[in-house]
Amino acid sequence: MKSRESFRNSDSFRTLISSLISILIGLLAGAVIIFIVGLTNSSISFSGAVEGIKIVLFGVFSTGRSAGGALSFGFNPVNMGNLFFRAAPLVLTGLSVAVANKTGLFNIGAPGQYLAGTCASLFIALSIPSSRMAPGLIWLLALLGGMLAGALWGSIPGMLKAMLNMNEVIACIMTNWIAANLVTWLFDISKLKNTAEGTKTGYIYKTTYNGVATPKFGLDKIFAGSQINGGIIIAMILCVIMYVVMEKTTFGFQLKACGANRYAAKYAGIKDRRNIILSMAMAGAMAGAAGSLYYLSGNTEFFWSTYQSLPAEGFTGIAVALLAVNNPIGVIFSGIFMSMLNISGMQLTYLTAYNEYITDVIIAVIVYMSAFSLIIRTMLAGRKKNIAGANANAEPGKREQTLPDAREMASSSAAVKEKEA
Amino acid sequence: MPSEYIIEMLHITKVFPGIIANDDITLQLRRGEIHALLGENGAGKSTLMSVLFGLYQPEAGEIRKNGEKVEINDPNDATALGIGMVHQHFKLVDVFTVLDNIILGAETTKLGFVQKKEARKRIEALSEKYGLRVDLDAKVEDITVGMQQRVEILKMLYRNNEILIFDEPTAVLTPQEIDELMQMMKDFAAEGKSILFITHKLNEIMAVSDRVSVLRKGKYIGTVNTRDTNAQELSNMMVGRPVQLQVSKTPAQPGEEVLKVEDLSVASHIHKRNAVNGVSFSVRSGEIVCIAGIDGNGQTELIYGLTGLDKSSGRVTLCGHDISRASISKRGEEMSHIPEDRHKHGLVLDFSLEQNMVLQRFNEPRFQSGGFIKNDAVREYAEGLISKFDVRSGQGPVTRARAMSGGNQQKAIIARELDRDKPLIVAVQPTRGLDVGAIEFIHSELVAERDRGKAILLVSLELEEVMSLSDRILVMYEGEIVGEFLQGQVSAEELGLYMAGAKKQGEAAAE
Repeated sequence: MKSRESFRNSDSFRTLISSLISILIGLLAGAVIIFIVGLTNSSISFSGAVEGIKIVLFGVFSTGRSAGGALSFGFNPVNMGNLFFRAAPLVLTGLSVAVANKTGLFNIGAPGQYLAGTCASLFIALSIPSSRMAPGLIWLLALLGGMLAGALWGSIPGMLKAMLNMNEVIACIMTNWIAANLVTWLFDISKLKNTAEGTKTGYIYKTTYNGVATPKFGLDKIFAGSQINGGIIIAMILCVIMYVVMEKTTFGFQLKACGANRYAAKYAGIKDRRNIILSMAMAGAMAGAAGSLYYLSGNTEFFWSTYQSLPAEGFTGIAVALLAVNNPIGVIFSGIFMSMLNISGMQLTYLTAYNEYITDVIIAVIVYMSAFSLIIRTMLAGRKKNIAGANANAEPGKREQTLPDAREMASSSAAVKEKEA
Repeated sequence: MPSEYIIEMLHITKVFPGIIANDDITLQLRRGEIHALLGENGAGKSTLMSVLFGLYQPEAGEIRKNGEKVEINDPNDATALGIGMVHQHFKLVDVFTVLDNIILGAETTKLGFVQKKEARKRIEALSEKYGLRVDLDAKVEDITVGMQQRVEILKMLYRNNEILIFDEPTAVLTPQEIDELMQMMKDFAAEGKSILFITHKLNEIMAVSDRVSVLRKGKYIGTVNTRDTNAQELSNMMVGRPVQLQVSKTPAQPGEEVLKVEDLSVASHIHKRNAVNGVSFSVRSGEIVCIAGIDGNGQTELIYGLTGLDKSSGRVTLCGHDISRASISKRGEEMSHIPEDRHKHGLVLDFSLEQNMVLQRFNEPRFQSGGFIKNDAVREYAEGLISKFDVRSGQGPVTRARAMSGGNQQKAIIARELDRDKPLIVAVQPTRGLDVGAIEFIHSELVAERDRGKAILLVSLELEEVMSLSDRILVMYEGEIVGEFLQGQVSAEELGLYMAGAKKQGEAAAE
């Protein structure tokens, strides 16, 4: 029994360590880039470059500049609150990708599902007059509606995969763009375009226009002045639920069996087709919830003419899942970390002469590094594998499967980053 | 004075982290002899051959050719030294012709153009000389496994290799083809070529080899002259304990009909014809019915149709219920299935051993309540099966199936399927690739199940297994059953003729 525990510990320990190492490498690489950019830019002095590095590493704790012009650090409730506010959708899209991955599917369709969730939530939240229904109830309907829309959108590639054996990556990419255009068209013909504020074009009303917003659970008291609301708590609850479903239930057992070996699952009498569709639907619901929660906050506006671009949150989800090694609990931390980089990036723009694009570069580096976390883990596990390999004396090719997987994901997220840029 | 030995591997030690795969192994191959290398799975045979081929560098020891030390750093060095190998899984390019495959890597060129005419002449002469019948212009994907093996042999001859390694060469052949191969090996040896013959099959060693070296768990056990030993002694050396080679069983006492198959057809995924064409048979309780045949004659598809893995037409009755259209899980209520491919169907390799043990049963109230898996119950159940069937693994129930040896993976599947305790057991090649000790265990378990009144449908490609284990034999050829025999009614040779399609019972009956 003891050896079992220590084995488990060492396995998850390896996972944690490898993720931390890759984050560290990513941050160091980011610092080097900051430094080089600083040195080649005449408007940034040596001390400016050092300041840049400080902000990249500790930007969340930045409290601006002191009277003497030096950077000051400390607890910054606005930054912290915004950190958690922005983390919620990242955690959920990360969860979406992680859940699909656990069942052997690569959900690159999170952006489309995110849009489907956004669209359904906004329509529900803005179309039911709050004079006729309690705003809290509208909010709940909007959230559930968004999740349902995401689930439906996710189940399309799932069905194509299950019935026609069509590659889910290709189907996901197509449904992403269908979603982008469909959403644009739906809002274009809707009455939800913001016309009250005449200076703005292209935006949908905030949900607060109808009195609907995510409850704050008192978090706004702790992080005064920030955009925070209960979204992050709901995201965490969903992560825990997904963890329990995947690890503790017979349903999760079936889904994982299908993902790990569809043929063996079929042999065991598990309905492989049904499970593929359900996996994608579940993943879609999580991405849908991400979109819902972000726009139901009441202080965000949706730019509806989105047919030329896909929401970055969806793609960042891939990096979040990768960094968490597809662990539903791990995505809470990696999602928050990604959000932290965003906040640091904004601080960098506010406080130094660096422009915001440099943060994107650093995020990209860390995304690359997060792919390495699987490779580092493989290296840490290498010793054990060799022993097993020598024992098993069989299937040397099959044992290497985890690695190409990692590479596949790395190159996809790299491609995604390029697209975003 | 030239050395007595053409190749010597002296005191070879190869260490992988945590395990010594080869521990001070010495193998000396005489010029012109057939030297068998015998050992269980994981005994270190493959590692040793990989060292000889330059795929691994040994930590200690040296290799000599004709008494002189040589360095083999990669397979090219091995080829340059005249070492050739017929791998267990052939290394041929499917879409190339036989001729192209033979000359691949050793082409004669003129100004950068391949000179096929000369090559063709040489190959034709070689195949004439040794009776290696091949169609030089056929594509490899279109020829039989037997002919593919002849192509591999021609490759070695074309390269003038003088040391020929055969890795489990008889697994895919019919009895007649095996005889031909044995004769050919003797001819090569008589010409002065030296042969290393890796096998599990003791009767082949007894028939063809001059000397035998035995490995066990990475250690060198000894080398004996074949004429001074016997199969029993060799298997004891290999396993390290006395092994029962013959399956001991009493005559079958068949009871009522458990499985009835009527006019079953299964479409092929490779060609347009049916892979299984109108097959009818039945299996009664308390008997082992064996489907014999050469690989690829519809046995796999028959089982797929029977177990529901693939669509089929016709009628299948199990324990009185028509299951022709039933789902896999419905069929599984009265049927255990030891699948042909343990990695594709038998196990989820990335799941733990205990998870694999409940692959079909996780939904039973015993292992779940309210949709939540009872981990303790699963653990307890898996530990019970592990000790009952002696399944060995690194970390017990939590070991990943992938990290287990092939023999133990198979044992785990057999433990799971037999413990499900169903009236019908479908076992497809249950001993494939296993060593004598594991085969002995599996055979005795199957016989014990039969004696408990189970109906057993066994599919086997091993003639020896068919002859020793079955109570009734059905021979399949090109998707049809061409012969049915009771145990003892037919000789292995005659069975071979049916398997090769040279004889058919329907015709004989018509006489």
